[in-house]
Amino acid sequence: MLWWVAQIMVCMSMLELARKSRRTGLSPIVLALPVALFVLLCLSSDTFRSLENLANVNSQITALMIASLGQGIVAISGGIDLSVGSVMSLTSAILVTADPAWGIPLALAMGVCVGLINGFGVTLFRVHPLVMTLATMTFVQGVALLLHPVPGGVVPGYLRTLAVSQVAGMPAAFFWCTAAILLAWFLLTRSPLGPRIYAVGANPVSAGRNGIAVMRLKVACFVLCSLSAVIAGIFLTARVGAGDATMGAPYSLDTVTAMALGGIQLAGGTGSVLGVVAGVITLGLISNGMNLLGVSPFLRAALTGVLLLMAIGLQRREAIGA
Amino acid sequence: MTGDTVSLSNTTGQWLRKASRTLISLPFAYTAMVILLIVAYFMRPSLLTPMLLLLIARQAAPLGIAVLGQSLCMRVLSLDLSAGGVVVGVSYILTSGLLPYPEPVLMLIAVAFGIAVGLLNAFFITRLRASSVIVTLAVTMVITGVAVAFSQLRSPGDAPEILTELVRFKIGIVPVVLVIWAALLIAVAVFIRKSVFGRYVDAIGANPRAAWVSGIPYVRVVTIVHVMSSLFAVFAGFLLIGFVGVGSMDLGRDLALNSLAAVILGGVTFGSGKGGVLGPTVAALMLTFTFNLLTSLGLGEPAKLMLQGIIIGAAAAAYSVQRKN
Repeated sequence: MLWWVAQIMVCMSMLELARKSRRTGLSPIVLALPVALFVLLCLSSDTFRSLENLANVNSQITALMIASLGQGIVAISGGIDLSVGSVMSLTSAILVTADPAWGIPLALAMGVCVGLINGFGVTLFRVHPLVMTLATMTFVQGVALLLHPVPGGVVPGYLRTLAVSQVAGMPAAFFWCTAAILLAWFLLTRSPLGPRIYAVGANPVSAGRNGIAVMRLKVACFVLCSLSAVIAGIFLTARVGAGDATMGAPYSLDTVTAMALGGIQLAGGTGSVLGVVAGVITLGLISNGMNLLGVSPFLRAALTGVLLLMAIGLQRREAIGA
Repeated sequence: MTGDTVSLSNTTGQWLRKASRTLISLPFAYTAMVILLIVAYFMRPSLLTPMLLLLIARQAAPLGIAVLGQSLCMRVLSLDLSAGGVVVGVSYILTSGLLPYPEPVLMLIAVAFGIAVGLLNAFFITRLRASSVIVTLAVTMVITGVAVAFSQLRSPGDAPEILTELVRFKIGIVPVVLVIWAALLIAVAVFIRKSVFGRYVDAIGANPRAAWVSGIPYVRVVTIVHVMSSLFAVFAGFLLIGFVGVGSMDLGRDLALNSLAAVILGGVTFGSGKGGVLGPTVAALMLTFTFNLLTSLGLGEPAKLMLQGIIIGAAAAAYSVQRKN
């Protein structure tokens, strides 16, 4: 039985490799999964259908959405960023410890710094992106714990208003999501930067020979990713209403899961904003559905792991290893 | 390098240059260990008594054993971050009382569990060609999630007596744990240096494509390496459970990251086994000593994490710059 599952996964991953030439990486499964889940949950649970719960789902996935969009950009450029979660945690720690007027600028500056370190480590020093971002992840987590060891603290009032108020009957989270999605969509498809990111991710050597400043572009992608993690952290802190130096920890792998579910190839060069959105919604619906069904949160983490394994298993690469 | 050995009439200058070159090419762990001992001598001389040094070495044993597996993985261009998950799984198998078997049988089940995890990792990495970091992190997530969820129903109990006795046992003043560690170390070193398997590992690390094309059993080698790595994590788990005396879901949490840091510090990077088996081992001792020193200086978890991050990042960067030159 297990053997058959394994064989089927091998075949499917080969099929995925065969149609790798498409740039968006969108397959019918990627798009159908969130829709099917939505219909299934609507049919199975009354609570799910309530407007209140749907708004709740929206605000639950907003932070993941913003962070995953950044992760997606890095992935399309051929990298990966595991420091996303720690950057979110440090943002949270900064927001509640710094002077309210300086919290956001400081957090953004921190994001730029982490992005630069990741970017230069990967390009200039040629460290494998996984190892490099694992290092910054650990370091930044340490700084966050040093700054704000015990969860708590007061979030500036204006931030709270920005995150939880309602505009024209829509929760603020909806606007955060929309703005982030539009920004990422504009960057990847309408700005001159977009095609270059795809080119570098698909083949950095030939992109360089065609006159693209590969190093600068890769560094820019890492900075963008860290900045989006900072913004995700700002939203999450404001929504929770308190600082927590470990708040972002699950997000490093959750963003990778969402991205892989959305058909973005970790090898680079393939992916789309629509894919990220589909992946994030899938993950959010699964999480919310299990919550409604009363599944233990620890088992939910285990299931996210299983999902990640399946999504990543379907992305057959050329190389074996890290 | 080979050119240097020809000249028999070494002048002092040449000899010095050669010595300094060898010194620079040594794994950072050796230099760092010396610096650390000097720092400790001036700041906390009490750490340098034989008693405490042996205790610290004993404490380093689980990390040292896990490092053996990690260094093998890195030699074949892979990584294994599932050590933490394996330890939690082993801890739950041994201490929860969920399985009503005698202790030796439970330990065999734990070993089988380790093999299964290694095979699962290897399946995803070699057959589905997924990124090893993501795969092993996801496997850790699954194991930890399931174990913690189960431990809500049935909390872990006392450690098996065999293990608590084993870690307390001493030969003269040397803890038997250190003897076990040394035995594993020598076994791995000889195996890697003398066996055909060791040559395969080197070949894959040096040039994976060439190894693949020349018909080296690539998939089998990577699979065996991952199974070995998980097995070492099981042994590390045995020792950790013995030390603590009760099962816990927090055991081995930073084992994976520490082993990565130690391997890189010990001079083994992706595809290059230059640091051998000894380099990572010295690094494991050094890291454990550093954490003790930090604790004795009153610095806690945050400082430890920051140091780990700096070590992994800086050492990896320095090695790849060195290799480029």
